[in-house]
Amino acid sequence: MDTDFREIINKRVVLFDGGMGSMLIAAGLGEGEIPEQWNLERPDRIIAIHAAYLQAGAEVIQTNTFGATGLKLGASAAGKKLDPAGVNEAAARLVREALEGEGAEDRFVAGDMGPCGELFSPMGRLTPAMARDTFREQARALERGGVDLFLIETMYDLREAVEALRAVREVSDKPAVVELTFDLKSRGYFTLVGDTPRKAAAVLEAEGADMIGANCTLTSDKMIGLVSEFRDNTGLPLLFQPNAGHPEMENGRAVYRQPPGDFAGDTARMIEAGANAVGGCCGTDPRFIRAIRDYLDGRK
Amino acid sequence: MIEHLKKCAQAVLEGDDRQAEKLARLTLDKDYPLLEVIDKGFVKGIREVGRLWEEGTLFLPELVMGAEAMKKAMAILQPALESGGHEQTKAGLVVIGTIEGDIHDIGKTLVATMLSANGFGILDLGADVPVQRFVDEAEGKKADCIAISALLTTTMPGQKKVIEELDRRSLRDRIKVIVGGAPCDEKWALDIGADGYAGDAVAAVALAGRVIGG
Repeated sequence: MDTDFREIINKRVVLFDGGMGSMLIAAGLGEGEIPEQWNLERPDRIIAIHAAYLQAGAEVIQTNTFGATGLKLGASAAGKKLDPAGVNEAAARLVREALEGEGAEDRFVAGDMGPCGELFSPMGRLTPAMARDTFREQARALERGGVDLFLIETMYDLREAVEALRAVREVSDKPAVVELTFDLKSRGYFTLVGDTPRKAAAVLEAEGADMIGANCTLTSDKMIGLVSEFRDNTGLPLLFQPNAGHPEMENGRAVYRQPPGDFAGDTARMIEAGANAVGGCCGTDPRFIRAIRDYLDGRK
Repeated sequence: MIEHLKKCAQAVLEGDDRQAEKLARLTLDKDYPLLEVIDKGFVKGIREVGRLWEEGTLFLPELVMGAEAMKKAMAILQPALESGGHEQTKAGLVVIGTIEGDIHDIGKTLVATMLSANGFGILDLGADVPVQRFVDEAEGKKADCIAISALLTTTMPGQKKVIEELDRRSLRDRIKVIVGGAPCDEKWALDIGADGYAGDAVAAVALAGRVIGG
């Protein structure tokens, strides 16, 4: 990669990609199958999804490794059969292949890291060392697969996010982005365990994150206020990836009905509020990324 | 006595399980009226925990600790309640689990804990639960309600399949179905023909009470 991601995010708004789950269902992911196994069993379909996001104008493509820590894979029947390192390394290579296939320049492979599925005390029995170990294994494999940056996302406990970030720092000096997931309560924005945007910004900045922000849980209209709150509390570059409304049942499938133009309109307001990078989470697909791309290109 | 009730509520509110156990034993030693201590003491505490959770003053750790303190106290009071000839105040039996293909059981376990803390009988089937098993267990145990969690866009249609299976076995009018999980909402519950949706464990307690009672 010739261009440095750290430089780009300080110069212009960067577009990440959107949701993976509904794309996988549309591509035929069956019951009892987990998304991560397709990195090994259906690489062509994963590449096609990445390619669709590239064609829509996404500049950062996330690996299909949201649940690919050893801890989380070990919790499901399908996941138990997979080698965590192999899955992560393969997933990174698939994004690289998609990039090469599209001849796309100045695009980035983001090694995606989601929660490990265990909780810290008093809810669960996760220890900092357990979290660090499983994230280190994942980060090391993603690094070996050739990612350009790491994206730690959907974290509902700041402590777990910090362990993931430290694990990345142990194995790589590439950029590390951290997104927590917040809900909007009557008293403001909080993670599941009560972390505030202010606390998250202070801690993650001190831990050396290159970019921070939030994804999932909130729909695009409710994400705008969270952007402002983050911007009031940090000078770091900010990334936000909201959900596309809530799903409805149609022909036995979950479908999301928020119009992409509506989502892009909210995204424009997130950028005005201080977001340096944007994208989508659950329910978004390449149409949403295209709508944001059109908006970004139009304002140049 | 009023002081004792306040202390019971406070122990749950503070998630102090040792204090809750101590107060439960004291209740028996002093022969305080059991139902009143439960209702105006411990239950009052867990309701306050729920209220503070909903407004964003308490969070998951406090909710879990409050529910645990409640369960510890009830484990001591329940046998006395039953041997004392009191009607066992079970609010209903709920079969709960996360749907097949989905291993996310944090929210589901929390809902189970809160339901149990609020007097519901609970059969927790865990995560990755097949449609047939939900219905088999609910039918076999004569459950009042099935609570199904789904956290993924890919797995949430399974909630509807449970309802279809209940229909097929002509059990739907006897067994209520409530749903939850990050991507679900009221509209989703309506779409798939469930009896209701709850956005968190506190709302789930109110919802279960409503659908079973109604």
